[in-house]
Amino acid sequence: MTQFKRRDILKGMGGLAGLSLMGAGALRTALAQGMASDEAWQQASGTTIQFISENTPPTTAIAANLDAFKALTGITVNITEMQLGALVQKVALDFGAGRSAYDVIYADPYQVLAPYHRGLVDLNTFIKDGQQPVVPKGIEDFIPSQLAAAGRFENADALYALPYDCPTMIWIYRRDLFEKYRDQIRQDLGFDPMPTDDTTWEQYYQIAAWFSNGNASEVKYGTGHQAQQYDSLMCDFSNVLFAYGGSYFANGQQIGLYGTDSPGACQLTSDASLEAARFYQKLLKVAHPGSTSWDWTGVANAFQNGEFAMMPEWHEFAGSLESSDLKGKIGYAPLPKGPARSANLWGGTGIGINANASPEKQKAAWLFLVWATSPQTQLMGLKSQVGGGTPTRQSVYDMPEVKAASKPPTDMPNMLTADTMLIAWQDDHIGLRPKIPQWNEVDTVIFTELSKMLAGQMSPEETMQSAKQRIDRIVGA
Amino acid sequence: MTPAKRWLPFTLKIALLTLLLLWTLVPILWMVLSSFKPNSIITANTPRLLFTPTLEHYATLFSGGNSLWPYLTNSLLIAGTSTLIAVVLGCMAGFGLSRIRIKGKQHLAFWIISTRMAPIAAVIVPLYLLFRYLYLLDTHIGLIVAYLSFNLPFAIWLMTAFFDDLPPDLEEAAMIDGATKFQAFRLVVLPLMTPGLVTTAILCFIFAWNDYAFAQTFSGPGTQTIPIAAAQLLTQTGIDWGKLLAIGTIVVCPMAIAGLLVKRWLVKGLTLGAVK
Amino acid sequence: MMSPALFLLALITLVPFFSIIWMSFNDVSLMGGLSMTFSGLDNWQRVFTDPDIRASWLISLVYFLSTVGLEMLIGTVMALLVYSLRRGSNIVISLLLIPMFIAPVIVGLLGRFMLDPSHGLYAWILNETGLFDGNILGSVGSAMAAVILMDVWEWTPLVALIVLAGLTSVPEDTLEAAEMDGANYRQKLLYIILPSISNILLVALLIRAMDAIRFFAIIFITTNGGPADSTKIIPIRLYDIAFRFFDLGYAAAVGITMLVFSILVANAFTKLLKRRESAS
Repeated sequence: MTQFKRRDILKGMGGLAGLSLMGAGALRTALAQGMASDEAWQQASGTTIQFISENTPPTTAIAANLDAFKALTGITVNITEMQLGALVQKVALDFGAGRSAYDVIYADPYQVLAPYHRGLVDLNTFIKDGQQPVVPKGIEDFIPSQLAAAGRFENADALYALPYDCPTMIWIYRRDLFEKYRDQIRQDLGFDPMPTDDTTWEQYYQIAAWFSNGNASEVKYGTGHQAQQYDSLMCDFSNVLFAYGGSYFANGQQIGLYGTDSPGACQLTSDASLEAARFYQKLLKVAHPGSTSWDWTGVANAFQNGEFAMMPEWHEFAGSLESSDLKGKIGYAPLPKGPARSANLWGGTGIGINANASPEKQKAAWLFLVWATSPQTQLMGLKSQVGGGTPTRQSVYDMPEVKAASKPPTDMPNMLTADTMLIAWQDDHIGLRPKIPQWNEVDTVIFTELSKMLAGQMSPEETMQSAKQRIDRIVGA
Repeated sequence: MTPAKRWLPFTLKIALLTLLLLWTLVPILWMVLSSFKPNSIITANTPRLLFTPTLEHYATLFSGGNSLWPYLTNSLLIAGTSTLIAVVLGCMAGFGLSRIRIKGKQHLAFWIISTRMAPIAAVIVPLYLLFRYLYLLDTHIGLIVAYLSFNLPFAIWLMTAFFDDLPPDLEEAAMIDGATKFQAFRLVVLPLMTPGLVTTAILCFIFAWNDYAFAQTFSGPGTQTIPIAAAQLLTQTGIDWGKLLAIGTIVVCPMAIAGLLVKRWLVKGLTLGAVK
Repeated sequence: MMSPALFLLALITLVPFFSIIWMSFNDVSLMGGLSMTFSGLDNWQRVFTDPDIRASWLISLVYFLSTVGLEMLIGTVMALLVYSLRRGSNIVISLLLIPMFIAPVIVGLLGRFMLDPSHGLYAWILNETGLFDGNILGSVGSAMAAVILMDVWEWTPLVALIVLAGLTSVPEDTLEAAEMDGANYRQKLLYIILPSISNILLVALLIRAMDAIRFFAIIFITTNGGPADSTKIIPIRLYDIAFRFFDLGYAAAVGITMLVFSILVANAFTKLLKRRESAS
């Protein structure tokens, strides 16, 4: 809830006013080059727009800085934050009603963009419009895989959303423990446990089992997972699936980047997919038993409490982990590779504009989009005390102060993952779930069936067979 | 002491009752107590009974430009108005239904009560579409109407049960004395109906105040109610238990007090008059 | 005097009612504005062949029998205990009633708070006493038990209140006569008290039965159907179909089956009322 968070900010920062003024000034200077003039920014002054967003860290930071946006544009932005499920419901019903209760939409690529892209404005209209402030450094500045995955559907013509946040799953581990037991593990297992480009999931499993066998007094288990019957379970499994060369549908990477209306038959019963399922079941058997009840927050809390030595987790949790007792003891790496590759599931989202909104509101919404995804705002998010996401633009990672912050000690803890992330987002490392309109239902099938597998009710083969049957019915293949 | 009352050893009886009281009250007391704890103590691994109480959660809820106030006023306005309409219309219809002698009255009564029993999840979709055509989404009126869909049949049915208990002789006598039907209703019947009206009103208010499913679907940025505020505190990055418990306390306490005020007539209310 | 109320009621119930029937014969899409394509009996065929729906009805049945059964049992015991109190019965029943005024969504949140594996009071007690050390809401059997107990916690007081009202109608002279003949409490309970409150127990049962299928907020806010679909009762399944998958035509068909179930219960309820009226 925005309101409450804003209160925290006031407390935490000892006064918002100073910060906002700074923000507005800095932004105006920084954006000044590419921009028509102040009038362009003021053209929708007096408008009020509604922004519906999942309650995520970047929106918290944005909410804290709305005064800066208002000073710049004269536009009032009301933010409604809610859980993703509730958001999807609101947005879908808003589209179905042909109305615009919300003008700026947190457009989850899978649950909003894929089914409802026709309800979103093609942003090229504004990008090509000379009357509008240009996107600072152009849209080319967005990390390419993210721009396609968050903003496009089916082809590279229309652009429905600008990349807004980019949580991505990486390997987060206790560097202190890995270093302490490095020699012992090398002796016992015959390989160096420190994550490298060549570390495999099989080795990850062996390291996990080594810790779970009580070889280290600090932790009871080797690995923890976000394996609750929820979206998080699909995410956790997808890393393994893609690494083993399996996929949900044929042509997985293309369907992940651009999406499609008709993905064809489900591929979960392929040999590679079955191998992945078998491995995932084996891995979860040595994992912390709490895993099946944790989502991403749960697994992060347990890691923070020292329950286990490593986990696949969204990189944005680095921020909170680095402000806990574990500060300085954590290492980050791309996830291990399987027979096919290393796959790091991307969970980013863009923000788009409701096509049902009035022209005036659309203009105001566009100004907000440009501002909210600008390098300056993203830098502000990195410094924010109340959250803030990680940048979706290359130029932010190239800023000297951001580069400096990627080594401890740092005032931008999320940037400790920067080097890992720039690898994880490369085309051959990023893991993308299928961008299809029916994803929500398909996702539910996947995590429900996997949940039954982990509960011991079905074998990996039965699980994949059952999932395929259901998914084929859903997508009409 | 009547014989029916002597049936268990005294100590066992007290032990059982204590157990039931603990089972019932511990979660509520723990919620209220914890809402005065700082977050660090709320989320500590071991429960703590002793702590320095703090009002910080309530203070953050109620201070600043963006506070719980709008949610609270929305809740009060929506629940209050829908209750008022339900009670007024329900009272009139209940009186009519109680006094009328027509064929098919039972079918009419059955239709009324069956509308109240419709599963909420099944009703939401068509209501949503209806509201969309009437431009009632994200309006106070929309939610008021939505709550009427369960409170109106409830009020009609319950008031009918209360009127059934009142012999028609009274108003008939008044009418013989020259009063019109409406005067008889207003001057003779209504004053005797106070318990029924209050019970109906309080129960309608509680149902509306407690609703989550309708509010979650039909409300927009300007019409969110308190249960929505509570659910919104479940965020991706964790739950702010302190504020959540404070909201819980705010939602629960007034309704518990109001409910207990009409305890005498509660049985009739909650069984829709099936128990006299 | 009835017309304004009935007109309003008809508007807000009949319009949705007929539209939901129409929807159940259509493929309803929200994508790019609302549109309907007639699809005949497709949705209905799915309702009766979908194994997930069948599983959900089965879970609903378990949930339904356990909650209503426990509520009847504990509620009756609660009422008998309070009834037998010489002093303080008013304050005791008032305290016992509080849970039923609490919003179901708050009951769910409170349940999560009490059962949270890292700081929940109940989780801590269960852990310390060695009774259960897993994650209560995250394991298949315990999650179901937990959501059942939350519902029992909230609604047992209602049953107790209704039964307590019925106990006042137990004929005292019969009880005294039985006492004279040397009947013990068990015999009195079985042969006098329970038979004379049987009608009211039935009322309590029907009231709970109707609401058990109406409300779903507790499960919605705690497990939302998981883990492994073990708590996915039919209203939760319907909510998924309607508001996560937006398969509104199918949702309408599932909704109608629930409606039919409710109407059957409502029918039983009014029949019973009528019988009681003619008996009194």
